[in-house]
Amino acid sequence: MSSGETSMVNWVLNGEAVQSPAGTTIFEAARALGVPIPNFCYHPGLSIAGNCRICMVESNRSPKPVISCSERVAEGLEIQTDSPMAVEARNAVMEFQLINHPLDCPVCDKAGECVLQNYSYDHGPDRSRFDEDKNIRHTKELGPSIDIWGNRCIVCTRCVRFCDEVSGTGELCVVERGDRSVVDTFPTVPIDNPLAGNVVDICPVGALISKDFKFEARVWNMRKTDSVCAGCARGCNVEVQSLDGFLKRLVPRENPEVNTWWMCDEGRYDYRYDLADDRVTSCSLDGNPIDDGTAHQALADMLGEGAGRVGVLVDPFLTCEEAHLAGRLATGAIVGGWTSRDGTAQCFPGGFTISAEKAPNRVGVEAVLGDQVFSGGAAALKSALEKGEIDTLVVFAGFPHPDLDPSWAGAIGKAKRRAVFTLRAGAWSEGADLVLPSASPFEKDGTYANEDGRLQRVRSYRAPGEVDWGSDLQRLQEILRLAGARNRVLSPASVFRELAEESSAFNGLSYSTIPPHGAPLAGHGAATVGAEGGAQ
Amino acid sequence: MSDLKFSEKGMQHYEWLLTRYPDKQAALLPTLRIAEEEFGNLGVPEMKYVADLMGISPARVFGVVTFYTHFRRAGTGTYHIQVCSTLSCALRGSQEVCDHVAKRLGIEVGETTEDGLFTLSKVECLGSCDTAPMFQLNDDYHENLTLQDVDGIIEECRQEAARGGAR
Amino acid sequence: MSFQKVFTRWTDDPASHTLAFYESKGGYESARKAIRDWAPDDLIEEVKASNLRGRGGAGFPTGVKWGFVPKQTDKPKYLAVNADESEPGTFKDRVIMEKYPHQLLEGIIISCWAVGIHTAYIYIRGEYVFAYRRLVEAIEEAYAKGYLGDKVLGTDFKLDVTVHRGAGAYICGEETGMLTSLEGERGQPKLKPPFPAIEGLFGCPTVVNNVETLANLPYILEIGSEAYKKVGPERSPGPKLFCVSGHVERPGTYELPMGVNLLSLINDTCGGIWKGRKLKAVIPGGSSAHVLHADECDVAMDIESLAAAGSMLGSAGVIVMDDQTCMVNALVNVMRFYHHESCGQCTPCREGTGWLEKIVHRIAYGHGKREDLERIDQICGRMVGKTICVLADAAAFPAWSFTQKFRDEFLQCIDNGGSPAVKARHPDRIGGGLHV
Repeated sequence: MSSGETSMVNWVLNGEAVQSPAGTTIFEAARALGVPIPNFCYHPGLSIAGNCRICMVESNRSPKPVISCSERVAEGLEIQTDSPMAVEARNAVMEFQLINHPLDCPVCDKAGECVLQNYSYDHGPDRSRFDEDKNIRHTKELGPSIDIWGNRCIVCTRCVRFCDEVSGTGELCVVERGDRSVVDTFPTVPIDNPLAGNVVDICPVGALISKDFKFEARVWNMRKTDSVCAGCARGCNVEVQSLDGFLKRLVPRENPEVNTWWMCDEGRYDYRYDLADDRVTSCSLDGNPIDDGTAHQALADMLGEGAGRVGVLVDPFLTCEEAHLAGRLATGAIVGGWTSRDGTAQCFPGGFTISAEKAPNRVGVEAVLGDQVFSGGAAALKSALEKGEIDTLVVFAGFPHPDLDPSWAGAIGKAKRRAVFTLRAGAWSEGADLVLPSASPFEKDGTYANEDGRLQRVRSYRAPGEVDWGSDLQRLQEILRLAGARNRVLSPASVFRELAEESSAFNGLSYSTIPPHGAPLAGHGAATVGAEGGAQ
Repeated sequence: MSDLKFSEKGMQHYEWLLTRYPDKQAALLPTLRIAEEEFGNLGVPEMKYVADLMGISPARVFGVVTFYTHFRRAGTGTYHIQVCSTLSCALRGSQEVCDHVAKRLGIEVGETTEDGLFTLSKVECLGSCDTAPMFQLNDDYHENLTLQDVDGIIEECRQEAARGGAR
Repeated sequence: MSFQKVFTRWTDDPASHTLAFYESKGGYESARKAIRDWAPDDLIEEVKASNLRGRGGAGFPTGVKWGFVPKQTDKPKYLAVNADESEPGTFKDRVIMEKYPHQLLEGIIISCWAVGIHTAYIYIRGEYVFAYRRLVEAIEEAYAKGYLGDKVLGTDFKLDVTVHRGAGAYICGEETGMLTSLEGERGQPKLKPPFPAIEGLFGCPTVVNNVETLANLPYILEIGSEAYKKVGPERSPGPKLFCVSGHVERPGTYELPMGVNLLSLINDTCGGIWKGRKLKAVIPGGSSAHVLHADECDVAMDIESLAAAGSMLGSAGVIVMDDQTCMVNALVNVMRFYHHESCGQCTPCREGTGWLEKIVHRIAYGHGKREDLERIDQICGRMVGKTICVLADAAAFPAWSFTQKFRDEFLQCIDNGGSPAVKARHPDRIGGGLHV
């Protein structure tokens, strides 16, 4: 793209004079103008293949229909998307797609989110004229997480292009030719890359099947919640899908500023900890189970008179709102933060990155509690603990997979009294006076800021009335109320307003109007994914 | 993995190929032909070898090999009889030739004899329509075939194989 | 002036493929003349003026095609010689490559000089092993003598030629399918635009020319465009290799002027229909051309005349069928070909070619229905003009023309339980499923 102004092109779409930037494809230009055109093989994050032919439209520059995914707008071009020629072309492609397609809908996971199925409704045909035997292609395992049901494959090559261009791993190919062609892997090289799960998302039909999700749920029965992945500091936008209170699947949502269209397998398949048997699910005092009310009062008492020197150890899984409240648990408290050990950062040819930092909100917690909280603050707290100076310690350990610096274990044990909010039991909760269950990132309503400083909403997948371990936000406010530090238990939005008033990073932002693609925190040069040669 | 590798001559040919194209990928088809010459058939280890040698993904090689019909895939017998079956040959008795070969060898089209000597395939137009019916045996065209000619060719192959000099 | 053979004048000489022989007959003089006497742009105009039309099947004016290549470009330019020759019924390029490889090389030198190309690839179908070896030998001879390499024919013109074997795919005869295969991929055609002249091989301007087309160039240089235009009809002139196969007494490759009458070709040149039978049908230009009923065969074999007759010259692969041929069976064979050869990239061709074969097969094997003929018509209509390349059209043309021109025979099969030819051969398979 050249710098400076892009020239606009005057063309005609369905009889209406319109303008679009030069170089745009008819498909994208029409979409921007609110005229959708069907597509199978085209995907904005992948190179143009032009093989499905469903996007054909009528053009004044050609006696034959043209594919809109690759033809560009031009001065004086006239395009019709619903003329008899365009409709006939579309119907032709639909008929051809369906003649060999198996009638698998009743047993196919893709039903309900299947492009072929949807287009059958919109573009027909509603009955088959095919009286022959259908082709048979392989059903097999392509890799540890992906199967292919080859009879369903429409050879659009999205998955092949994904592995070539985005993950850069090239494990997929089309084999054979003609109507025998189907997607496959090399016999001894399965598809096994950190982004593999995305091919199932982009498959327009139910050919590529996720083993994790196979036969798990019907898509129309699931509850869908827009949130962000807490697997690392990239903060990929996801849709959390659940059925009857059980998490079933995570799929990425498009965000050009964060994750474009993708998410990694580590984040995608790591949701089972939410309902793991070893999660802490109830409060306990000196090892004995107690109810929430008793626990909250107990902590309020611990922080009241006789609290002595208070330390608060925050984790990077707290939302900004929770961090704000944690910081207010006691005036004059030493606040430090601890993190899980870093994993490996990964960069992929298509521009997608996985962060080494396996936590979602260090940046947000720093924006609320000060950018030293995980460094200088942590050091100060640890030192104070070592010296036996901390009387009351509140620990937040909402780590799904704790991999903590062991030196903290020793330090934590030195506090005279200890209350721990935790997802799992561990060295840090052993011997604690008070243990409270921590919400998982899936159960939080609040905001996270990713490594670029982009603030995004997390949302709980819990439906009202479903079993709820209790939101940390409510607990903390309840505890503060009992301690006399607050009057009311407020919504996340109101807590957000409080913290925005105190922290300039959140200037001008309001909880319910955070834009769909997130908002950069002030003072962060929020980089965008794919800024260098990424998918367009 | 395996100890497959090109002979010195094969490697020289490969190096020379790389000088003829500005893009290494373009040398894939001719390199696969070297692999055929050196290894006989292009099975999984052979395709993997070529992929690793050229630094391209094995899946890509696999997609290429399976697209074309003229590579010697795994399981191809020493003598690959490819009977042309398209219209001009069909008009002049290619089906009879094919049936005859099948009968003589005791196999169906697409199969290989148990001793691994012969594979019978039906292929599309070989560009020898004026000398129909005909077949291609490995590299060579055998044209204007009578059923007797077919018997003679099969016998020659058997004798050559018995002498230990195949292809 | 009497017709001068250009491709087959010395076919019987066993040494015709050697450099020594070719030179002894004045070979490479035209190439010398081209580089010495013709400025490249003028040479393009000369070839345009000759009305030389491509001999691969599309019949596009060669000089015009050369003119599409940008004169100013930073990218290298390429010539890709289409020696894939896989159109059923066609075998003329094979004759040129096996008997006169140097004539092809000379044509390559001339075309590369005209367009400013220094690298040429000859993409030869994988099955033509003998022709490949002949080409390799000829190229070695040419390099040794300095006709190729850094100083072509002693001039400052540089030209490298490499032979590149295909591996069995008709679709690699489609120009962009060939380029994709040359680039080391599955031979699937590319989207056009961009056209190869602008963005072809390795993304660079590329001329794609058929073997026979290039082999015409030395002759054009020899006699000049004016004289060349007078050989046969002016709009598609020149000596032409006709491939005749099927039910004639003398099948073979025959060199005649463009415009020879088809019946004369069959009866006079090829000895008429074999076994004393009668003519029933002819495919005049490779299986992708509309079939002609015997009544339609009194036609001149040139591009315009055949187009006017509702067919095409195409690759000049003439397939002759006698009156004992079952046209339904013949169509099954042709449809199987396209089904097998479709690259599978785009939906209408991938699915349509399979569907067509299955229907026609079902008719031949005794399970046809009257509505199948209408269905075939509809399928063809839904394939044509909607695909990346014209293989879909090439499959549709025989499907259309066989079922239209020999409709009675198809109806007979439908009404009487199948094709008599199939019944005779496979009495047990009548009414069975598809056997591919």
